[in-house]
Amino acid sequence: MSDVALNDIRLDIAGLPGNAGVQALRQQAADVFARTGLPGKRAEDWKYTDLSRLSAVLGESWWVTAAQTEPADVHVIDDLDAYRLVFVAGQFQAEQSNLPTGVQMLPLADFLANDTAERGHCLFHVDESAPLFNGLMAANTALASDGLCACIGDDVQLDKPLYIIHNGSSTAHVLNGLMLGRNAKVTLIEHFVGAGSDAALSNIATYLRLGENAELRHYRLQLESDKQFHIGRVEVKQARDSRYILHAVELGAQLSRADIVVDLAEPGASCALHGLFVASGRQHIDHHTRIDHNAPHCRSRENYRTVLDGRSHAVFNGKIVVAEGAIKTDSAQSNGNLLLSKNAGVDTKPELEIYNDDVKCAHGVTVGQLDEDQLFYLKSRGLSTEEARQLLTFAFADEILTAMDIPAVRRFIEHKAFAKLPNMTDLEGLLG
Amino acid sequence: MLKIENLHASVAGKKILKGINLSIGAGEVHAIMGPNGSGKSTLSNVIAGRDGYEVTAGSVTYQGNDLLAMAPEERAWAGVFLAFQYPVEIPGVNNTYMLKAGVNAKRKHQGEQELDAIDFMQLVKEKAKLVELDQSFLSRGVNEGFSGGEKKRNEIFQMAVLEPTLALLDETDSGLDIDALRVVAHGVNALRSPERSIIMVTHYQRLLDYIEPDFVHVLVDGEILKTGDKSLALELESRGYDWVKAEAAA
Repeated sequence: MSDVALNDIRLDIAGLPGNAGVQALRQQAADVFARTGLPGKRAEDWKYTDLSRLSAVLGESWWVTAAQTEPADVHVIDDLDAYRLVFVAGQFQAEQSNLPTGVQMLPLADFLANDTAERGHCLFHVDESAPLFNGLMAANTALASDGLCACIGDDVQLDKPLYIIHNGSSTAHVLNGLMLGRNAKVTLIEHFVGAGSDAALSNIATYLRLGENAELRHYRLQLESDKQFHIGRVEVKQARDSRYILHAVELGAQLSRADIVVDLAEPGASCALHGLFVASGRQHIDHHTRIDHNAPHCRSRENYRTVLDGRSHAVFNGKIVVAEGAIKTDSAQSNGNLLLSKNAGVDTKPELEIYNDDVKCAHGVTVGQLDEDQLFYLKSRGLSTEEARQLLTFAFADEILTAMDIPAVRRFIEHKAFAKLPNMTDLEGLLG
Repeated sequence: MLKIENLHASVAGKKILKGINLSIGAGEVHAIMGPNGSGKSTLSNVIAGRDGYEVTAGSVTYQGNDLLAMAPEERAWAGVFLAFQYPVEIPGVNNTYMLKAGVNAKRKHQGEQELDAIDFMQLVKEKAKLVELDQSFLSRGVNEGFSGGEKKRNEIFQMAVLEPTLALLDETDSGLDIDALRVVAHGVNALRSPERSIIMVTHYQRLLDYIEPDFVHVLVDGEILKTGDKSLALELESRGYDWVKAEAAA
């Protein structure tokens, strides 16, 4: 990256919130970003996702955030009883939001404005040795405008989910940090949505820390406009006996990449990652997941289902690393891919690195079309070809949908997911 | 009702059916018996419309219509039902939902009003009793995790709900123990009616002790070599198929 570009970033940073310590960390991140730049196709973790499209479409200064425009009218989950945090173009909208009381929770920009101490904040430390580290993470740290900053205290169970709506039709770098204390229990819903007609970048990093025996259910719903580039990072660190449950849904964006990095750091911690991609047109969707079993008696479950139509392309890379001392590890990974079109494609790769003998690790991958025997069976019972295809497509995604424990979210996703596919007309009857 | 004339069919270029002639009247029960590989299942699949079976000559006429020109679902709407030899498992597709979609597609096609959920549940519960199918099976995925016997009972249950005018039972008795066979046979017998024709494909005479056929046909190497009444089945049981072949060759 040129010195001119780096100077531009430095100038951008000067206008962003943060005390002297945070500003210094932002500058350090900018240096890292300037050095590493965008991940190229030669990097093993970016073999199937070509980010050169990002600069080709958005120009040389693709990271520059746009001025806030009138928010586009977007479809959100209305029948959801939740605390709402609305961000438009990476900026918190107080008048559209309602935050819970009695917990430490602020928009990041407010937090930074009120934090006059000179030391930096841990959210702004760039760790180049982190799994799946890339330049976009450093760009996020350098340029983050806003986000969620919350510490949920010991034994606190939020009575309603936290529903974060990112209305992102312009380029934004958003940084979220959520810490759960001992025995705390929270449901976090991140909903990325947009209706912009121009291409832009959503660069979203979410750092999660779970204290002892804490439980976090995390819905990550990516329904950006079909012009948008979406880059996501979810980093989870789990203490003893904590439970992390992810429901990741990818429906939107022209190119979407998310890195999900989970550190099962202490004994008894568990995580379950449920993923659903429904892609059509020329959409490209990529999830790289990395689960580190760093302690004994931890459990991880991973189930990703992708439904691909048109010329869409999906990438799934599931890496599981079991450390030497992580005995009694129990891990299972499954990735199913349904290709509804001859021109759709998928690159899927399970990666297991196991450094002790006392583990149980299962993994399986399937790639295929709709099953002819099942289609014939349904037709022989009087269902039309379209109805039968619709029903089997739905059945394929069923495991992921039924794992969602909030009916309003599930209904919303069901409708959005299957409305995307051709001939999915009679949804009312199907979804009963 | 159903008229099969000079039917020839191939699978992957291999000739399986070599000139079948068969006429089935309303309300009749026909048994088609034959050794393995004689073409019994091919005949069922051709009538139901499964892909991969190429009809090279002949015709199948059902209620005056060319059955072979119809899509599988159109055949179902016209009242054709196949009880599968190996019912496929369809996890994630609810048994009752599938049947409701099937029944209502047929009703719509026939210009009748679609059944609402309450009426349909009533119908389904009543029919489930017929084959002693536990109600918990109704809300499960189609055949998902069912035992062999449960799958076959589910087929007859579906037949009861869909009320076909022509039912093809493809080896419905195979893999059943005697108690399960009794239950299934009881269900089929209860569904016998003057408007409903039944074709049973089997290679065990045992089934015919419970469901008494009007006609028995012997299918060997793609041709019907002999037709008789139920006593023919008993003769096949004791003498095997070779004498039929010898008789036909003579």
